[in-house]
Amino acid sequence: MRKLQRIATYIFLSIAAIVSIFPFLWMLVSMTNKSVDITQGRLLPGTHLFENLTVLFQQVDMVTALVNSTIIAVITTFLTLLIGSLAGYGFEIYRTPGKDRIFNILLLSMMIPFAAIMIPLYRLFGGISATIPFLGIDTLAAAILPTIITAFFIFFFRQNTKMFARDLVEAGRIDGLSELGIFFRIYLPTMKTSYAAAAIIAFMNSWNNFLWPLVVLQSPEKQTIPLLISKLGAGYTPDFGVIMSAIVIATLPTAIVFFLMQKHFVAGMMGSVKG
Amino acid sequence: MKYFSVRKSWILVFAIMTIFTLAACSSDETGGGSGEEPDEITAWAWDPNFNIAALELAKESYEKDIKLKIIENAQDDIVQKLNTGLSSGTMKGMPNIVLIEDQRAQSFLKAYPDAFYPLDEYINPDDFAAYKLAPTSLDGKQYGLPFDTGVTGLFFRTDYLKEAGYTMEDLSNITWEKYIEIGKDVKAKTGKDMISLDPNDLGLIRVMIQSAGSWYVKEDGTTVHLKDNEALKKAFQNYKAMMEADFVKANSDWSQFIAAFNSGDVATVPSGNWIGPSIEAEASQKGKWAVAQIPRLDMEGAVNASNQGGSSFYVLNIPGKEKAAEFLAETFGSSKQFYQDLVLDVGALGTYKPASEGEAYQAENEYFGGQKLISDFSKWMEEIPSVNYGMHTYAIEDILAAEMQNYLNGKSLEDALADAQAQAEAQLK
Amino acid sequence: MGKAMNNTGSIPYTVKKKRKSGGLKKNYIGWFFILIAVAGICLFYFYPMVQALLLSFQSGMGANLEYVGLDNYIRLFSDPTFIAALTNTMIYLLVQVPVMIVLALFFSVLLNDATLKFRGFFRLAIFLPCVTSLVAYAVIFKYLFGVDGLVNRFLIDLSITSEPLNWLSDPLLAKLTIIIAITWRWTGYNMIFYLSALQNVDKSMYEAAKIDGASALQQFFYITVPMLKPIILFTSIISTIGTLQIFDEIMNITNGGPGNATLSISMYIYNLSFEYTPDFGYAATVSYVIVILVVLLSLIQFKVAGDNK
Repeated sequence: MRKLQRIATYIFLSIAAIVSIFPFLWMLVSMTNKSVDITQGRLLPGTHLFENLTVLFQQVDMVTALVNSTIIAVITTFLTLLIGSLAGYGFEIYRTPGKDRIFNILLLSMMIPFAAIMIPLYRLFGGISATIPFLGIDTLAAAILPTIITAFFIFFFRQNTKMFARDLVEAGRIDGLSELGIFFRIYLPTMKTSYAAAAIIAFMNSWNNFLWPLVVLQSPEKQTIPLLISKLGAGYTPDFGVIMSAIVIATLPTAIVFFLMQKHFVAGMMGSVKG
Repeated sequence: MKYFSVRKSWILVFAIMTIFTLAACSSDETGGGSGEEPDEITAWAWDPNFNIAALELAKESYEKDIKLKIIENAQDDIVQKLNTGLSSGTMKGMPNIVLIEDQRAQSFLKAYPDAFYPLDEYINPDDFAAYKLAPTSLDGKQYGLPFDTGVTGLFFRTDYLKEAGYTMEDLSNITWEKYIEIGKDVKAKTGKDMISLDPNDLGLIRVMIQSAGSWYVKEDGTTVHLKDNEALKKAFQNYKAMMEADFVKANSDWSQFIAAFNSGDVATVPSGNWIGPSIEAEASQKGKWAVAQIPRLDMEGAVNASNQGGSSFYVLNIPGKEKAAEFLAETFGSSKQFYQDLVLDVGALGTYKPASEGEAYQAENEYFGGQKLISDFSKWMEEIPSVNYGMHTYAIEDILAAEMQNYLNGKSLEDALADAQAQAEAQLK
Repeated sequence: MGKAMNNTGSIPYTVKKKRKSGGLKKNYIGWFFILIAVAGICLFYFYPMVQALLLSFQSGMGANLEYVGLDNYIRLFSDPTFIAALTNTMIYLLVQVPVMIVLALFFSVLLNDATLKFRGFFRLAIFLPCVTSLVAYAVIFKYLFGVDGLVNRFLIDLSITSEPLNWLSDPLLAKLTIIIAITWRWTGYNMIFYLSALQNVDKSMYEAAKIDGASALQQFFYITVPMLKPIILFTSIISTIGTLQIFDEIMNITNGGPGNATLSISMYIYNLSFEYTPDFGYAATVSYVIVILVVLLSLIQFKVAGDNK
């Protein structure tokens, strides 16, 4: 009976995996084909891989875009996690009705579509440009700043902190740790899996972010991967072989981050830490 | 405890918000693009093989010393960036020269009155195809430098049509009704579909009505003109007849559209001339294509010439505008030689009339069986009826697309267009 | 500012100080923890949001805006396009979010099993759709759901239908296609939150339950779901927000068509701002409809979950 259940699980997961992964495999295959073959729905590997990659790295500035995207994504992930977890922890551990109310107000900020605040935000950065040029329009900093402080991650960490054993905080105080010490020495290591999940999401959001970088970054030297891909599909005769190659390369970093981080999702780890 | 922290937290929030609001407001005035003349001019355009290449060519041929930075962005991205920048009043980061699609131009010109720099002192509008002038000017001022034409042609497979018993003669100077008749015949004799259409895209409707000098709005560019619009009625009827004729290969996006003719599944592609390179991408079909005049609507005043797409250059009203306007004027605005090179090197067809006398325009296109394609297109270009696209093409088209669905599903044409009219009037106050 | 704070806080301050000075100190430190976040959100979100709110009372083309009072809000009720977008979006929400949440929970429980082989691969496979670029994903979806696409061939081979279905041009099927696309793309994303939260559930609870003879299903409903409640609440709220703001899938797969059959509120905002002659005032009004909807739905979800007790 149990064995049967196991086999059913594997079959189910395999079907789900195939359905999920199919488009990615198609992209991998398309990367090796000519544009004409791709639009006609060819599903077999071709011989055009080298040509597609050559165009991508020589005619299009893929390297710059990769470097920019990496800088933005790494800094964003780090700061997002730090600021978000500090606040999520603060709201839950030092809970007061006042903070609860502020928390609820903060949640409002994730409810408006970004398109609606984009123009005022752009004007704000126009103002910043005039006084602090290195944070202004057309700087990587401008692409990063509004994305590192989000109600989303504060909310995420707060909900996860609810599952965190409060006794640990008290134990830390008895051991004479400072409040910040408790956060860094006890909370942070204990919540490793939450950080892992947040890191995946933050990295992915930043890596795929389109609309804000699009309007705030103007020069080609500052462009990111999604901007480059959008541009590749722009002409009257887009080259789908090159586009697919770019997309495969663009997908890999997030997939790698996910693969590394998901290793922390090992059942039963918490039990041992708590014990 | 409760009382205390609630009060304190509110004060804090207010304090912070006040500070930021003040900071932001005070910085508003310092924003904007005022400043001295920049030594570098920037230009935004979208197709590396086409308008970007044209700008590069212009830069090369320009005799004066200019630092021109050409930036490639997707067309939709340009529209977003431009709208965001212009509406926020923050001109920092905006380009000096920007390419805008003709059917969008009036929106930009009217929505941002002082954002563009008139070019009357730099170019002579009469040098350009007449149909380009209405969309690129406003209140008697010429803002756009007309660039490429979207002159349409009926691209067709000579081999399929021959098999069905038709020649170039039979396709020239025809109406859409005749086209549908031929289509049925081709399908019956060759088994090939006549055309590939995306049921969500009314581009062909626009091609049809412009051939009769009509549009979704009246000549003033704002009065919605759907109900009792004879041309639009005929276009809808033709569209429905095609959909019901069983010779339409449906597509749902651009790549499927391209695939439809690259794979040899359809016999004709009625389209703007810019589809040429996509057809030529399939090398194995060399010599099997030709281009006839686009069919016309069966009504008084309709001609076998129309337009699909096309765009023009605009200069933003920011420092560097004189330099930018001068650059455009001396290349795209007045150089016959430049247009010869443009045709030869880039394959782009401009709308500058004097250029058509040049030799390059007489070249024969091998892929299209030696047809003098450029020459034919530039001849047809001058016949395109001039219409004012106005500002609401895309908004009205979304309304029409919904009504088209209803019409195809059995709603009467009069009702469909009357409902579209009412909805458009309500929405476009 | 400092003075005002002393004044308003003076009376309770002295009372509290005597009784709970330790708590107060912690309270200050609590403020330190949230300070950067609060300041940043005020600057980068609330300041623009206030501007957007002001905009929602204005109307006009591009930069030519003028105050029109509540006209924009009144216009909403007689705007058939907006009503279509609202209806579609609510359909997506009601059908799609519950399906996705349940599916994601289910996957995460299956994939949390330490004895499962190729666990990492299965997790990555199910996560992959949400990192796949929309450009590619849209092209593929259109092929799969085309009239002679793979999905139709499959359905015909299995004799589920005899005629090919018009997935993208039939109003109802097009909505279904969008729902399938959203679920396909975002299930793996929600799975991450559950997978990570499951690590924080004490394993000994399951062992105790097993000894008591609880079935897998009972364990799921009596241990997993209650323990994950904060995270389930989190994911259902972010999925609600995500679905109410759904844009990418629709823009890339159906572009709102056929007619307005798949148009979403966010897509309409985009059209009003960038596709048509821009009316940022009315676009802001429509945006605030989303805010109001999310606030209402979130309140209901917080209530149902009993989160703040």
